[in-house]
Amino acid sequence: MNGLRWLHFALQNTLRNRRRSLVTVAIAALGTAAILLAGGFALATYQALAQAAARSSGHLVIGTPDSFTSDEDVPLQHGLDDAAGLRRQLLDDPAVRHVLPRVEFSGLISNGDKSTVMMASGVDPDGEFGIKGPFLTLRAGSVLVSGTPHAEVMLGEGLARSLKAEPGASLTLLASTSGGALNALDVTVRGVFSTGVPDIDKRAVYTDLASAQKLLDSPRVSSLGVFLDRMEATGPAQQRLAAALPALTVQTWLDQAFFYRSVRDLYNRIFGALGLIIAAIVVFVVANAMAMAIIERTREIGTLRALGTLPAQLQRTLAMEGMLLGGAGALAGALLAGTVALALLVFPVQMPPPPGRSVGYPLLIALDPALIAATLAAMVLLATLASALVARKTVHLSIVDALAHT
Amino acid sequence: MSAAPVLELRGVHKGYRLGAHRIAALQGVDLAVQRGELLALTGPSGSGKSTLLNLAGLIDSADAGSVELDGRAVDGLGETGRALLRRDALGFVFQNFNLVPVMTVEQNVDYPLFLAGVPAPQRRERVRAELEAVGLAAHAKHRPDALSGGQRQRVAIARALVKRPRLVIADEPTASLDSATAEQVLALMRERGRAEGAAFVIATHDARLWERCDRIVALRDGRIQ
Repeated sequence: MNGLRWLHFALQNTLRNRRRSLVTVAIAALGTAAILLAGGFALATYQALAQAAARSSGHLVIGTPDSFTSDEDVPLQHGLDDAAGLRRQLLDDPAVRHVLPRVEFSGLISNGDKSTVMMASGVDPDGEFGIKGPFLTLRAGSVLVSGTPHAEVMLGEGLARSLKAEPGASLTLLASTSGGALNALDVTVRGVFSTGVPDIDKRAVYTDLASAQKLLDSPRVSSLGVFLDRMEATGPAQQRLAAALPALTVQTWLDQAFFYRSVRDLYNRIFGALGLIIAAIVVFVVANAMAMAIIERTREIGTLRALGTLPAQLQRTLAMEGMLLGGAGALAGALLAGTVALALLVFPVQMPPPPGRSVGYPLLIALDPALIAATLAAMVLLATLASALVARKTVHLSIVDALAHT
Repeated sequence: MSAAPVLELRGVHKGYRLGAHRIAALQGVDLAVQRGELLALTGPSGSGKSTLLNLAGLIDSADAGSVELDGRAVDGLGETGRALLRRDALGFVFQNFNLVPVMTVEQNVDYPLFLAGVPAPQRRERVRAELEAVGLAAHAKHRPDALSGGQRQRVAIARALVKRPRLVIADEPTASLDSATAEQVLALMRERGRAEGAAFVIATHDARLWERCDRIVALRDGRIQ
């Protein structure tokens, strides 16, 4: 009950100069909203990039140890044998939804008049394009399907432009076989896609797994992409599968996601510094407001001490005033950030393409309970500490001097 | 009732440094205040009245000599010990009332009891009785800024007496009041002081107040005349 009385006293004091308190709360609210919006934007970006990375590589990627650590002398030198048997074994795991074999290779692609370098992937068309979903944009034609009589390819947008190839066009793939000989395969263009990264689109080729293995003259696959029922299952599934397949290496999508890690490192630094600056501003504003309030009330503080109030009691109630100002600002800021986040869902805003990309992305703010709780707690704590620090000197002032203060 | 004085100062010295000069505010003051006594402290400005009140009210310390409250030496007490003694045994009435503006009249009067840890039901009863005694029961929910100067000083008196202190320190309690109101406040202090058994040490220039006090002590140049 005593605590409530002090809290009530602190509340009464914050309402003395309502305009000053309102300005303090408003700045704390804007600071909190800025931190939550910036942090929410970063989190939404991380989530989108994580989904894209996992859908591209698979939540887990399984290969021979050498395939992750050393370059191949010939295609599929470090490839996996018996991919079908391995796939069946992996699908027995309760968290595994899909297992997609991939053959990664490079070579030349030619339209008869012009040849250029390609970075190709042989994939299981039915599984691969079902899973990639919105993370692969089809520009022309259609995606690959299994069981076609002739070998087909999908070309990256830049590559298709370079070769002046449209759906239906005939091209030739040239690559070294796993035995070291040169091989060629005539293919038909089925579709043109964009990954959103122009540099990749200038080289990227998808073909079906059987065509790739035929071109490279090997039954092996480069790796198996394992898709789980949810992102959170990645760690436990990695441990289970690594234990079940000791001769192979099981990497997570995070190990493969260089771009995701780079963006995360960059954003963490940018938004971390921004958060610190905003927090410092809020601390200075609250401290300044409290300093003015305390100086104005020096005589009253002297009176309360003459009546027997301990300095610690006064410091606590003044800290509570800071806590109330910071808390009110933090709550208002959280509401503001929530409103903005919801408004962006109703009225979407498109961001321009980032450097190195050809497509923009929707501006989304993730409302993460942990981020909100941590920001609110930090704001309240900083405001409380700032007020306690500012009050420290005045509550220990000589009572005679405090009573004589004008 | 004990015969020991509620307040006793023996050979008290107090000085202040003012730039390069040292001002002797009190020079060997001896004073005893009996329980229930109404003592007027007079003297010209700079005579040491406020300094003596500060020492008696335990908000300042003597350079030499001893101060005893209810027979207990207070010189060796730390800040917390003095604060607790002020909370439990002393009341204060200030020239400018010094009420807390954000608190209502009853919250102001209740504050010393709250500080002392008196349970809420007893506090409510004692605050109500004290406000009735000073004639302000109808203003219990008002803020100080809604009251006249005389009413505010009556609230201050109620705040000083509600915890039943042994000694009330009053610094020019009528200086901010008109004559009629000052008369009322003086009468109230005497009446309530006697009712609660509290001694009053009142620093004042007001000659009307001297007549109502049990004793007048005149200070000049830091000495009792």
